[in-house]
Amino acid sequence: MQRIVRRWMLAAAVALVTPQVASAQERRVTGQVTRQDAGTRIEGAEVSVIGPTRGQSVRTGADGRYTVTAPAGVVRLQVRAIGYRREEVTVPATQETANFALAQDVFNLSEVVVSGQATTIERRSATTSISLVTGDELKRVPVPSVEASLAGKITGVNLQSNSGAPGGGIQMQIRGNNTLLGGFDPLFVVDGVIYSNASIPSGRGLVNNAADPSREADAVNRLADLNPNDIASIEVLKGAAASSIYGSKAANGVVVITTTRGTNGAPRFNVTQRVGAFTPLRLMEHRRWTLDSALVRYGEPARAFFADNANPFFDNPAAIYDQRKPSLESVVDVSGGSGGTRYFVSGNWKRDEGIERNTGAGKQGLRVNVDQTLGSTVDLRVSSVFARNENERGWSNNCNNFGCHGYALTYIPSFVDLTRRNADGTYPVPAVSVQSNPVQLTELGVNSEETNRFTGGTTLGWTPKIGGSQSLRFVMAGGIDVFDQRNDVWTPNDLFFERISALPGESVESGGRSRFFNYNANAVHTWDLGGIDLNTSAGFQYEDRQLTTFQIRTQNLLPGQRNVNQGTNIQANEALTQERTIAFYAAEQVRLFDEKLLVRAGLRAERSSVNGNIDKYYIFPNVSGSYRLQNLFRTGNEVKLRAAYGETGNQPLFGQKFTNLLTPLLGGTQGISVSAAAGFADVEPERLKELEVGADGSLFKERLTWEATYFNRNTTNLLLNRVPEPSSGFATQVFNGGKIRNWGYEVGVGYSPIQSARVTWVSRATFTHYNSEVMNLAGLPPFFPAASGFGNLGRSRIEVGKPITALVGFGVDAQGNRNPAISQLGNTAPRFRMGFANDVTFRNLTFNTVIDWQNGANVINLTEYLQDDGRTSPDWGSPTWATRYNGYLKGAISPYIEDASFVKVREISVNYEVPRSFFSKVNGLRSARVGLAARNAFMWAPYRGLDPEVANFGSTAIRNNLDIGPYPPARSTFLTVSLGY
Amino acid sequence: MRIRHFVRQWANPRAAAPVVLAGLLLIGGCGDLEILNTNAPTVETLTGSPTRTILARAATGIFSQMYNDVATEVGVYALYGREGFNLLGTDPRETQEQFRGPPDPTGRHSANWIGPYQAIRSINTYLQSLSTATGFSPAELRASQGFAKTMKAWMLHRVAIRTGALGIPLEVDQPLGAPPAPFVSFTAALQAAVTLMDEGYADLLAGGATFPFAVAPGFASGFNTPATFARFNRALAAKMQVHRATFVGCATCWALASTAMNQSFVTATGLPNSLSTGVTYFYSTTANEPANPITEPLSSNRFWIHPSLLSGVQRKADGQPDNRLTSKSIAAGRSINLNDLIGTHKPIMYNSTANPALANLAAPIPWINNEELLLLRAEIRWNTGDQAGAISDVNLVRQNAGGLAPTTLTPASPTNDFVTELLYNRTYSLMWAQGTRWLDARRYGRTGTLPIDRPGDIIYPNMIIPAAECDARALPTPCLLLR
Repeated sequence: MQRIVRRWMLAAAVALVTPQVASAQERRVTGQVTRQDAGTRIEGAEVSVIGPTRGQSVRTGADGRYTVTAPAGVVRLQVRAIGYRREEVTVPATQETANFALAQDVFNLSEVVVSGQATTIERRSATTSISLVTGDELKRVPVPSVEASLAGKITGVNLQSNSGAPGGGIQMQIRGNNTLLGGFDPLFVVDGVIYSNASIPSGRGLVNNAADPSREADAVNRLADLNPNDIASIEVLKGAAASSIYGSKAANGVVVITTTRGTNGAPRFNVTQRVGAFTPLRLMEHRRWTLDSALVRYGEPARAFFADNANPFFDNPAAIYDQRKPSLESVVDVSGGSGGTRYFVSGNWKRDEGIERNTGAGKQGLRVNVDQTLGSTVDLRVSSVFARNENERGWSNNCNNFGCHGYALTYIPSFVDLTRRNADGTYPVPAVSVQSNPVQLTELGVNSEETNRFTGGTTLGWTPKIGGSQSLRFVMAGGIDVFDQRNDVWTPNDLFFERISALPGESVESGGRSRFFNYNANAVHTWDLGGIDLNTSAGFQYEDRQLTTFQIRTQNLLPGQRNVNQGTNIQANEALTQERTIAFYAAEQVRLFDEKLLVRAGLRAERSSVNGNIDKYYIFPNVSGSYRLQNLFRTGNEVKLRAAYGETGNQPLFGQKFTNLLTPLLGGTQGISVSAAAGFADVEPERLKELEVGADGSLFKERLTWEATYFNRNTTNLLLNRVPEPSSGFATQVFNGGKIRNWGYEVGVGYSPIQSARVTWVSRATFTHYNSEVMNLAGLPPFFPAASGFGNLGRSRIEVGKPITALVGFGVDAQGNRNPAISQLGNTAPRFRMGFANDVTFRNLTFNTVIDWQNGANVINLTEYLQDDGRTSPDWGSPTWATRYNGYLKGAISPYIEDASFVKVREISVNYEVPRSFFSKVNGLRSARVGLAARNAFMWAPYRGLDPEVANFGSTAIRNNLDIGPYPPARSTFLTVSLGY
Repeated sequence: MRIRHFVRQWANPRAAAPVVLAGLLLIGGCGDLEILNTNAPTVETLTGSPTRTILARAATGIFSQMYNDVATEVGVYALYGREGFNLLGTDPRETQEQFRGPPDPTGRHSANWIGPYQAIRSINTYLQSLSTATGFSPAELRASQGFAKTMKAWMLHRVAIRTGALGIPLEVDQPLGAPPAPFVSFTAALQAAVTLMDEGYADLLAGGATFPFAVAPGFASGFNTPATFARFNRALAAKMQVHRATFVGCATCWALASTAMNQSFVTATGLPNSLSTGVTYFYSTTANEPANPITEPLSSNRFWIHPSLLSGVQRKADGQPDNRLTSKSIAAGRSINLNDLIGTHKPIMYNSTANPALANLAAPIPWINNEELLLLRAEIRWNTGDQAGAISDVNLVRQNAGGLAPTTLTPASPTNDFVTELLYNRTYSLMWAQGTRWLDARRYGRTGTLPIDRPGDIIYPNMIIPAAECDARALPTPCLLLR
């Protein structure tokens, strides 16, 4: 019982702080907590009395000292501090001091991670591979959207930014592509509240006549609303056995985000100010023209451009991406607590200025987290945050009217000076090439977004005192996440591409309202049967997710007007999606053989409104186990073997069970007619089955730790779109069937070669490799998923026996002729990804780097294709161009499918902790820190385009590396000053 | 202290646990998971037991789906038949694949069938619903069936002439998921379509005085009752028979065409105004109504007139070009060269008549009109022994539409010369309207006479079968031989 209660309390330790009424049967224990090797004092470490009777929990002061009230008799004290290994000692009845020297916890093995709706487990004992990143690692270098800061730090996760636009836009993929048509986003849970990561497009694609107006609008995924400074930790539940507790929303993995909470003590203020700038990492290059070459290409109109200068050359990309305004961020937080109340309040104000003229992103937020204990058995946690997010994303990605910079620039010859103005300040009408001027667009066009969001959650726990070898805890938790996004896009009549439109001048107001609501009720029972610990949990969950998107598009605007009322052709659109799920679960965890063997098993049953049969319960089981071999060969060495099997699901999307009718308008009458998309009335969730085996270990008293995992996952009963023969009148039909497989290895190694009083050096490396294969398509022929590409210009294709991420198109043979049939030319998934993180501390100076290496993968470089088509390629006429252009002429795309390998220095930072002696006279100042940090500081890539991390179609189920005039990548550099009071 | 008291009272697990558990079950038991689709009506609206009102709306839906692919027929066939270029430059395929292949069975050509067949499914659904509907008079039922069969027959014909000798699936009225309908030959497809057209005609003649639904605005000028709609039916039937006679060499079809022509609205009176009498695809600037897909301001670089139409035009007595060229095209005042395709003149047949530099989204596109019927009649007459009548009809169009002198052909002229003259007139009368130049060149085996702008460019002999159609039969794409 003792042990199991201790385990459990460990899990709940942060939440449960119980005031003790002093009595005659209590005593005081004092001591100091220091860092092993260095001997420096650890401030803020949590010292708690653990054991069958709950004890006090206190924090160490700046001197590392603590005083704790403990029951009379022998007690066990536990010390926890972020970044250090947990320590426990037994304090005899007569001993009044207990000092601790904590070793660094390089791999966060002492952190607890979720193992169920209401249960947690120390990573050291976990039966599955769960990655954990602490807030400290996330905050070092400013980031547009928090998930970007995971890059290079964890295994099994493939992060990719869709473009360099300010404000985010990142896709996160855990253990590969696990669906072809279903939802592809991981499930995000913030403080127990299911958090929307919707990407709601602006009207940019509409005004630009994009092929796929919604996907090509380069939407921000709403995880960008989180303030990275509030985050205490991010856990990534990769395997099905771990994520099975979230049922049919978990096939793509679950990301559990925990925000910072208050600790007991006097109020502490932290103030951080950052100032920095964004600069281009790469910009498009251009062909240089002579009068002769220009005359051949553009005819007589080109002659005028050579009148004053025989070799005119204007770096137009540099003129568009020339914004260098300072970016600013201010963060303030205060935390503290006394009695049964603890609080954490933070506010942030941020503004990033993009490299493209008049683009940028900003956010503001206010968070209040309160923890309250009621008596000694009830604890209440409340989290709430209001966030406002805004951005101006500019004009990038595909378009069909040259109203997007990258695309237009591929056709605008470098002898044209886009910045040249007429005497009255207007721009001259483009005389050669395309009817658009990107510089004019940056000045007149509007593409802005604003989101206001509230997320609040409450957790109520009750731990009745029942004594003996059993304990019981009830937890009820619930929360709501609502946001309102609004996008304004305006392309006024004066723009050159609007002047030639049949309906000149366009304004699109669009956006979405999202409301997620979830609650759960859980009971956890623990029982110590002497050598066998049992932990039983069961509960109920209810989830309701609703998203309404709307769009009002107006064309033929009154000149100068932008209100959607002020045009003649107004189209309104609204789409509501809603999903409700009810689930029950039960789980059992058994610990045997002195905690060496741990076995878990669980079952979740759920039914959902999006399934064809709303009354049917779908069952998702999981079972896992781990065995720890301690003190192997030598004291302090340990190896843990683990294996897990689990099943999760992926819900049908809203509407996949309905066959809708079209409602066209003709002659003032609204008709109804059959649409080309057929639904499936009996649609079911996809099912992911995964086997995961692994071993974790540590050597030299955890100076070196490692973990290795192999996984093999099959998704069956896939949501598929049959493409019926077009002669049926239907273009698509949803059905369930088929199977895809993802398998791979994840390896993490951490080593701390130097741990001395002056210098510590911690080095970590992660390696992720996975493969995928389409096993069975239920009789479907190879098909192109949505947003797979542009016809013969290279596409993703799903074909049995091939990787899910295959790119196909026409190749060329040895003679330079186009092959007769399309074949696989590439793969959008990398061969492997590696991350290297190094943290070096020398006295008060810390130096951190994170390097992200992607090996393999391919990009379809259509920007280069367009440059060749526009005859503006910088290497026009060279041998490399000639080879490529041969493919262009013959209708082969293979020369444009390029290597997407890269090495990026994601983060590099230097921080200086100002010694106290410098500011000892400043009243109240506790700490001061100065730092310099850069994100995406350097990139090495053989890619001929701007950035191999690119996705014209944004986040899609099948990762699509398509490059069509994206927003160029940028490096950000920030100077940070932090003060603590 | 009240809270403490409350907590203490409820802190007794033996008292509280059953309450908590009962509460959990209660919450779990309720919860409504029936969430309906509020975004659009679902197919059950049509297949259930639809009311008269719903069927009237379904008829409007059918009219609306007849617009499917009009943009393709006009804008894409115009490129195939070298009536023009698309030099906007945003899509390299416009100057590459469209002019020199290879045709992409999954790209442009995959969208080739879904529009017509989607309309056919709508019509089949409508016909099935009619068979169980109540509240219609027998005449109304016949009128509705006649309308639906006319539209279905025309859609089958449209799709058949695209793929030509490759054939099409015909018996597609079956549940989704059934094995794909078998292909029939070009000959059989054309015959089945016109047979259905004839059935529709019979229904329309028994269709009473009015349709039980709103007839689309393109029929407003004299084709909106069963009796007058029947004349539109006959006009299409005549055209279909002519296509049979020329595409697949049906010698007996000329006589059938002649019969149908005589029952249509063809007229030699009231010229030149009556040239445009007929049915149109009606367009409007009203939001959400269909808008003309071709029209654009003169400043746009998208559509251009093919130079061969400028150089090949016949001259009027005063030396000026054929009116049909000058009223349908205009010098842009600039020249565009995109990948060696050169545009100097823009099509303006759908632009504002007051100011041809401006787009007119409400410009109708002719579906079938008297000008086309006169030329069809000329073609029929030449082939049914009335060469003099044929020359007379050609001259009606030459003089009234083109302002040209009468043709120098005589009834004794070789048929080849007549065809040349006929196709000249069809090209200029139906310029940028339905891909006439391409279809005619194919009908008469004259694709070799169409201009080739660059070495390596080709004239498509037909469109290819969409990849999905081959896939559904487990045939490799492009699938050329089907049975």
